[in-house]
Amino acid sequence: MRAGNPTVVRPTPPGTRPASSLHRPAFWVVLGLLGIGAGYTVADFRQPLASYPLATTVALILFALYAVPFLWFVGSLDYLEREPPLLLLTAGGWGAMVAATAAARGNRAAADLLAKLVSPHFTTVWGPAIIGPTVEELLKTLGVVAIALIARKQINSVLDGVVYGAVTGLGFQVVENIQYAVSAVELAGRGDRIGPVVLTFLLRGFLGGLWSHTLFSALAGAGVGYFVVRTDRGRPARLAVAGLAFLGAWAFHFGWNSPLLADGFGPGIAGVLTVLLIKGLPPLAMILWLVRSARQREAAYYVTALRSLGDPMIATSGELTALATGHKRAAARHYAYARCGLPGSRVVRRLQRAQARLAVAVSRDDPTGQGDEARRWLAVIRAQRQSLIHMAHPEAAAPKDRRTPAGRWALGLGLVGIVVPLVALVAAGLGAHGLIRSRRIRQPADNWLTAGLLLGGLSVLLWTVTYAIRATGGA
Amino acid sequence: MGGPVSRWANLAGALGLFGAVAAVAVGLPALNRQIPAVRAVADGRYEVGAGISVLPPAGAAVDVTGTRPGPTQGSVLFLLGSVRYVVVASGPTLPGGPKSLVEAERRVRQKIAKIRGYQVTGGTTPISTRQGVTGRQGSYTSPGRCGWYAVFYSPAGVAEVTVSGTDQALRGAMAPIQASVAGLRFKALAD
Repeated sequence: MRAGNPTVVRPTPPGTRPASSLHRPAFWVVLGLLGIGAGYTVADFRQPLASYPLATTVALILFALYAVPFLWFVGSLDYLEREPPLLLLTAGGWGAMVAATAAARGNRAAADLLAKLVSPHFTTVWGPAIIGPTVEELLKTLGVVAIALIARKQINSVLDGVVYGAVTGLGFQVVENIQYAVSAVELAGRGDRIGPVVLTFLLRGFLGGLWSHTLFSALAGAGVGYFVVRTDRGRPARLAVAGLAFLGAWAFHFGWNSPLLADGFGPGIAGVLTVLLIKGLPPLAMILWLVRSARQREAAYYVTALRSLGDPMIATSGELTALATGHKRAAARHYAYARCGLPGSRVVRRLQRAQARLAVAVSRDDPTGQGDEARRWLAVIRAQRQSLIHMAHPEAAAPKDRRTPAGRWALGLGLVGIVVPLVALVAAGLGAHGLIRSRRIRQPADNWLTAGLLLGGLSVLLWTVTYAIRATGGA
Repeated sequence: MGGPVSRWANLAGALGLFGAVAAVAVGLPALNRQIPAVRAVADGRYEVGAGISVLPPAGAAVDVTGTRPGPTQGSVLFLLGSVRYVVVASGPTLPGGPKSLVEAERRVRQKIAKIRGYQVTGGTTPISTRQGVTGRQGSYTSPGRCGWYAVFYSPAGVAEVTVSGTDQALRGAMAPIQASVAGLRFKALAD
């Protein structure tokens, strides 16, 4: 246990082996469900593949590739204490095969029930908002519960719950999007053409992708993580928090699917985008805030573990500060690149990774770092440190945040560019120019330039995609 | 890993997990099958969707599971005994909609032919509603049943009609159904 808030993180006990899950009844139940889900998924895709082989294959490839940036982002959240790849695969597989196939059947039945018990009209208008969130969030959250039942000791913090939730949601989102793409091909009635697939990819992948299942499940997963980790609180309190997190996921999903603002603010692109932003930004902002908070708490725990070794050759104070956040780690690498070129940046990357692994090893009941795992990473750290000293860049810390007029302009224009597309283009250009220049003159970049580039680039992308969809009669 | 108590708890959790998934995937459909779907139809025109309405034949009931009215598209499933009478309406602004009567008919024929055991038979002939909307009609067969389809295309939207039943049932029901189809009304054209 560490000083501060000792129960924020519960490290995996040393000697925990993946094979220990085999002794848990839940492992076999989950395996069985994954097998059944896989069978149904294959059966569900057999007919589309036979009828529309090109369109279905393109849909499978496009949406599989679509998962890559999401997985990268989730991976970056999980930097300090990596989740086992097999468990992440299980979570993604649950979302894609168990939750998606069960939801398809459950949603249909629930919609019929609603039509019978209330009315078809009510079902048309409110069905997606009531049924979708209830059935789908439940099934996806059960994926995180499944991970907790198989490998409870691998859920070490609320952030781990977020990660498993996000991956479950991503698996669900990918399969659901493929199903929608195939339906679009069938509805179009023009045979095996990829046009409807591309349109669906733009609509559901870009316009709806950022604030969708991945996000909602991340929130619900945080609740499961809290329940598992915070055993210092009573069960009713933990259940209440988990319930609230689920309710939050349900509510955001309800808002997204609801008929409110269905007519938007007019038929133009601005109207469509405004509705998207109104419905999507609040949950995105809230969940990102939650993720940031969970990540900071986890980072503080592991950084404290490393700091307790009290050896600046292992990690200096500046390096510990940089290790805690993604953008500071990146800034430290960029700074090393600025001073020592690509070799410097690579050494810092290896050093940071080794420091993170050492922090986890030390936190697992090895506070002095004498165990085999800790020694292994200590050796890597020492080797990288020697390389850095040799390069006259002994400390892999991030430079002080640098603010430049260009950075301020890029960020400001990026914010305006959300509603004015030309301004977004300027913001992206300004950000890109500033970053390239910093790299060329080997100076640390103002991270507001990056923010401006991302905001501007994203806004340009959203506007372009919306315009393309409208131009092809897709929305 | 935990002793017998935690293993029992794990088993209980696993069974709960399985039960929850089964409740959604199997339980909800089973419950759905227990509740009848057929309802009486109120007198007067029935709004199918997208501003298209129809006057149901006398004695028709509506199957609410095949009925989904909406502002840009909708469908209704009427039942006259064992005869199924479906109207699917879509508005002109619906993305990916047909651009002509020929395309609309082709899509309907494709939809019918895609169902296993269903076959579109013979050619097609023109048909029109009392409102003057032109369309095409044809017939099809399915295992143990016959079918008739009609599709209407106008700037106000598209209406697809499919009727299926046993040969004997259809003989008694076709006249009132065709009268109902002739009474399809496209609101945007009437305004």
